[in-house]
Amino acid sequence: MAGALVAAAVVRAGGHDVLLLVIGAAAIAAIAAGLVLRWSGGLAVGIALLGAQQAMRLALGPDALDEATPLVAGALLLAAELAWWSIEPRIPAWAQPGVAVRRVLTVFCTCVAATVVSAVVVVAAGARVGGGTLLLLTGVVAATAALGVIASVARRSP
Amino acid sequence: MTRAATPKLGAYAALAGTGLLTALVLGRPELAALAAPFAIVLAAGLSLAEPPRVRAWLELDRERQIEGEEVTAHLELAAESVVPGLELLLDLPGGVEPLGENPQRRHLDRDDRPEIELAFRCSHWGVYMVGDVLLRAQDRFGLLAFEQRLDLRQPLKIYPRGDELEKLLRPLETQTFAGTQTPRSRGEGIEFADLRPFVPGDRVRRVNWRATARRGEPWVNETHPERNADVVIFLDTFAEARLGASGTLDLAVQAAGSLVAHYIREKDRVGLVAFGGILNWLTVSSGVVQLYRVLDSLLDAEIFLSYAWKNIDILPPRTLPPHALVLAISPLLDERTVRALADLRARGFDLAVVEVSPVPFAEPGTGALDDLAYRLWVLRRDALRASYLRLGVPVVEWRKGMPLQAALEEVRTFRRHARVVRA
Repeated sequence: MAGALVAAAVVRAGGHDVLLLVIGAAAIAAIAAGLVLRWSGGLAVGIALLGAQQAMRLALGPDALDEATPLVAGALLLAAELAWWSIEPRIPAWAQPGVAVRRVLTVFCTCVAATVVSAVVVVAAGARVGGGTLLLLTGVVAATAALGVIASVARRSP
Repeated sequence: MTRAATPKLGAYAALAGTGLLTALVLGRPELAALAAPFAIVLAAGLSLAEPPRVRAWLELDRERQIEGEEVTAHLELAAESVVPGLELLLDLPGGVEPLGENPQRRHLDRDDRPEIELAFRCSHWGVYMVGDVLLRAQDRFGLLAFEQRLDLRQPLKIYPRGDELEKLLRPLETQTFAGTQTPRSRGEGIEFADLRPFVPGDRVRRVNWRATARRGEPWVNETHPERNADVVIFLDTFAEARLGASGTLDLAVQAAGSLVAHYIREKDRVGLVAFGGILNWLTVSSGVVQLYRVLDSLLDAEIFLSYAWKNIDILPPRTLPPHALVLAISPLLDERTVRALADLRARGFDLAVVEVSPVPFAEPGTGALDDLAYRLWVLRRDALRASYLRLGVPVVEWRKGMPLQAALEEVRTFRRHARVVRA
């Protein structure tokens, strides 16, 4: 999945193929390291590098809104979900038939919903709204709030 | 129920935050669209996550079992919320081995009440508390991990499995109660003892007509009565030799359990003395209740390191009744036990010693000096056995893998010859 994302980004870029390939290769290497070593940090770096590859493609490409972004978002989330599922602790446990099927359906529905949400964001971004400091501030607060989730829920509760 | 964030939660939060910030910096809304799914999963996962509410009850199908047999634990769960992937582990103590699926992963819907059977094998004798249940679950998106340990422990007694014995060692003297032993005295019984002339008062059914016809005057049969015996199992718990998971104490307890069960089945009275760092005793008695009393006492047998000098004077008088057969099961490693057994013989007790040989549990060293020390140690043990034999105490070396019946036969042979020599 990650390889497909890298290839799609390189193919759809209008130049700077080598730079995008290097970033993509680094992303795949980080994800591979994360999978082999069961290392969550590696997966996070790999997914972030996949996002960085998209960011680089968009930054170096035309200013027009990329309408394929929702599909890329869904694929990125699918890659992330499958990667973290792969490194979950493996205990030799007998599993009730259907547990894995339910998990697959949950992942699939999550990715479909993510694609829809991403499409809403792209549509909203395409709408003409005035910018301004307030909007910028709102975006910064929203981004910071996402990082603040780590501190509020990472602690163990009795 | 403890709750902890999985590494995935931190990673998703970082990806969402980084993506949104990058979108602001570069001015590309597509990056916000890429980061939005991660933020949405975070928000949905954290808002929908609730600790799984699961209650459990556990019941063992048996409270007592014999080594090597199986026990089944019946676990009933009651889910008060949906649990997508509940991991369930019955944390078994050492000495008990799981059979079948343990741990398990299950999906529970609200109000589900599944019943799960978990079988396990009793691999080692002892008293165990079984029922430590560990539950682990994650929320639907794998962002939070919940864990709970339920204490549903119940006692399980695993009795030692001993050898089947065909013939037991018989004491020199019997007691006055009815049993299955044939004493040397004469009385009402079935076992033929002798012939004697008829005297007034003898019952006519006792007349031996063949002898009467041959001698021309009435002769009657004399019989041996059936009496029971008192047997005291003397277990040495001062020291043991151990190699890996097995040791001399394990063999001793298995032998003691087997002997106790067989003697009580023969309607003899059996007592127990655990002579060691912790002194434990049971006065002689018979019946199933006594059998379980002795077996439960054997389960408590353990080596307790002690340097206090002890001899048999500290035993209560009724522990060693007169004319009782004292069957000592000991590795003969501790000087206190060696002296105590010699003391018992000196006081006139009917004593037999089954030496649980520690030699297989002691590996000789690699050097020449180690080999010499090992051979000297083995020789000293032979000398110790010879000293007991000189005292008239039958001592037989019993090794792991050797049938206990063979050891008892050796003791019986010695006692038979000893009796002839004294005559």
